[in-house]
Amino acid sequence: MMKALAMEFYKTRRRRVWAIVAALIFVQLLWGIWAARNMDTRDLQQGWMFCLYQFPALNSIMMPVIAAVVASRLSDVEHKGQALKLLETVVSPGRLFGAKFLCGTLYMLAVVVLQLLVIVFMGYAKGFEGGVPFDKLLYYLLFTTAVNLTILLLQQVLSLLFVNQMVSFSVGLIGGLAGLFSMFLPQDLGRFLLWGYYGVLMLVRMDWDRDTRIVDYYYVPADWTGFIILAVMFCTIYMIGRTLFVRKEM
Amino acid sequence: MFFRTLRAEGMKLRHSPVWLAFFILPVLPAVMGTFNYLQNIGILKEQWYDLWSQHALFTSYFFLPSIIGVYCAYLCRLEHINHNWNTVMTAPVPVLHIYLSKLFAASVMVLLTQIWIGVMFVISGKLIGLHGQVPSELLAWLLYGGVGGIVICALQLCISLVIRSFAVPVGIALIGGVTGLAALAKGYGALYPYSLLSVGMRANRPQEPMQCSMEQFILVSSFYLIACIIFAAVWLKKRDVVTG
Repeated sequence: MMKALAMEFYKTRRRRVWAIVAALIFVQLLWGIWAARNMDTRDLQQGWMFCLYQFPALNSIMMPVIAAVVASRLSDVEHKGQALKLLETVVSPGRLFGAKFLCGTLYMLAVVVLQLLVIVFMGYAKGFEGGVPFDKLLYYLLFTTAVNLTILLLQQVLSLLFVNQMVSFSVGLIGGLAGLFSMFLPQDLGRFLLWGYYGVLMLVRMDWDRDTRIVDYYYVPADWTGFIILAVMFCTIYMIGRTLFVRKEM
Repeated sequence: MFFRTLRAEGMKLRHSPVWLAFFILPVLPAVMGTFNYLQNIGILKEQWYDLWSQHALFTSYFFLPSIIGVYCAYLCRLEHINHNWNTVMTAPVPVLHIYLSKLFAASVMVLLTQIWIGVMFVISGKLIGLHGQVPSELLAWLLYGGVGGIVICALQLCISLVIRSFAVPVGIALIGGVTGLAALAKGYGALYPYSLLSVGMRANRPQEPMQCSMEQFILVSSFYLIACIIFAAVWLKKRDVVTG
């Protein structure tokens, strides 16, 4: 498997897959920093919670597209070169599927780690009150990575199964829009939608007083039921997607 | 000759279900946005105008520019694969016609989407029993939004001509949408190509006038359109094609 993974990186050498991912995450981080530019004392008291509320919302807009871009860049190279049939003679389709997913996973993981570093940097630079909430940030890392990888997996399945990459991108964009909307609807509705899990697994909720226009953030317990449902979705998509890819005529 | 290239684009798109994405995209905000409107009916007092914000806000900021990016990448994909640029460039067709026919195909799709957004908006409003007439500004929202969308088409087609990858132009379109929101917030929405769509659709404050005058909107949109057409013509004429 390590050799297959190394080959994936070899195939994408000088294709600068990281460049568009870096550009997208850079824009997202700038957006996050820009939103936190004018924080008063009250905001600084809730600084960590502000970040843990804001970034999932930004993720629900941008991560589905980042996942679609990564999956498409890794899969489209085979379609363009009509290489899948030949590849099948040197590596089993199942292993190829796994290697591509692992390769994409590293990109998506790097993106979340970068986000966390920026959150911690913002906390120190702005002077958020209280120490770094390492436990909450670890949960954020776990939950965001879990949603990212499940979406990446779905995108990879679509990008590999359909030569027309418009299919996978359309599903990603429409899913992302539905996921974003689900954050404003009752939480249980988000559970029916893979892209809604950025909202479902949020660790912070918000109270907005319409009269005083004061925003109050508060921590909520981690939604382990939601996490388990997500894990079931991941396993289902992996098994079905991998089987469909293995049985497909390359 | 131009009509022949148009016909060729039509043939390439025939039986392709790509229009489905543009069909489904406005249905989501129509259903979920209307539901959200009903949930917050105590706060949202502006009836049709608030419903329009629910329908058009996220779509015009991020998702319509991105899906236009996807469609434009799709329109250029056939040429980028299988050494097809060689065939296209040796056909007895002015190169500008190739770009213009793609722009026409993308623009038709954007205008049809705008009509579909309008239809969904009226149906949703009627179904939930909103009082009063449908706002007379609806046509202007859709028309100006359509013009803004065509500008994005022109720009994305240029990007997809230059960048052979399918995914990268889509990423750029999303970056354009996000930076367009920043430009809009700073008051420069009328100068930035990716925010012209949301400036035209007035999703944020539909009851207020556009961020710029109609003349300025048309002028800026025409400038970007002409700049993109000139760029595409020069690019196709001067640069040797890359195939493979």
